[in-house]
Amino acid sequence: MKKTILLIALVTVTGSIFAKNSVSNSKKEKSAIVPVAKAGPKKTTTSGTITFNATTAKDALPKAENKTVIASIDIDKGTVAFEVIVKNFSFENPMMQDHFNGATWMDSEKFPTASFKGNLTNLSAINFKKDGTYAAQVKGDLTIHGVTKSVTSAGSISVVGGTIKIASDFNIALADYGVNGPAIAAGKVATEPKISVSAEMK
Amino acid sequence: MEVTVKKKYSLLKKGGLFFLIILLLAVVWIWYVFNEKYADTTQITPAFSLTALDLIHEFEKNDSLANKKYVEKIMVVSGEVSEVEGVDSTVNIKMADSTSGSYVIFAFQQQDKGLAEKVKVGEKVSIKGSCSGGAFSKILETEFITFKRCAINN
Repeated sequence: MKKTILLIALVTVTGSIFAKNSVSNSKKEKSAIVPVAKAGPKKTTTSGTITFNATTAKDALPKAENKTVIASIDIDKGTVAFEVIVKNFSFENPMMQDHFNGATWMDSEKFPTASFKGNLTNLSAINFKKDGTYAAQVKGDLTIHGVTKSVTSAGSISVVGGTIKIASDFNIALADYGVNGPAIAAGKVATEPKISVSAEMK
Repeated sequence: MEVTVKKKYSLLKKGGLFFLIILLLAVVWIWYVFNEKYADTTQITPAFSLTALDLIHEFEKNDSLANKKYVEKIMVVSGEVSEVEGVDSTVNIKMADSTSGSYVIFAFQQQDKGLAEKVKVGEKVSIKGSCSGGAFSKILETEFITFKRCAINN
């Protein structure tokens, strides 16, 4: 009887020790996975910003901001990508927002997203392991209104404690992307609006 | 003869007045349209109320149909906050499906940014906003649904 009790006690104690080890191992595994993923070469955000400014002397309304831009950068390969839902560009004026999404402009029901995929052409000049601000050159494919064009742009990359911030301003010719309309012809909308992109990725 | 001239003059006067009223109305209408701002989202009756997970699953199942149903509709979406992500000097709030990684993200109207900044990860909140639709992200390989002009609803 005493032997049986001793055996049960031994099994229980051994079992609980193994169970504890198993739990702590699983926690260790999980905590080991997270930093590796954070410190990996691909960094992303789902809260990048793109502003669109097509104002002219005749009209100050055509400007908007989209704050839910998906952005990614692979610091080993130097690839950069952006993706956006066009209808989430927010205008102050409802009429302007309707025009922007309408058939003669972005036709966002037919072309709901816009995207960019490219490469840093001066990757070797950027030290992602050292805090600082670096000049960046990007070349890639920009898709707007269902039309894809090759573009190059200059910008900056700031590295602060492992966080990477990309910023770039450039102009696009609306006609290149098949965006035309009477408001553009009348000079109420800039033919080459300014696009500003910024994203902070961890 | 004099009576006919007077009649013609009177008709011309009435026509001119009518034209002026139409012109004035057109000017007021154009001024209104160009200066109109979006109404405060908190004051708008929502067209739909549902949970974030139900919304995500509906978009995952068929985002074309879901876009037709929800885009540009004011909706109330409830769920657990999975991430509060910094954007410029404010935040976006995200509710994600932990299984698929698909998510719904809310960008706030100016007057509600302060309230949004107080929300913490893990909190259950209800958010009212204008649905901009969803799509499959080629970058993240998940479905993402975006909202604009949002307000905290509870």
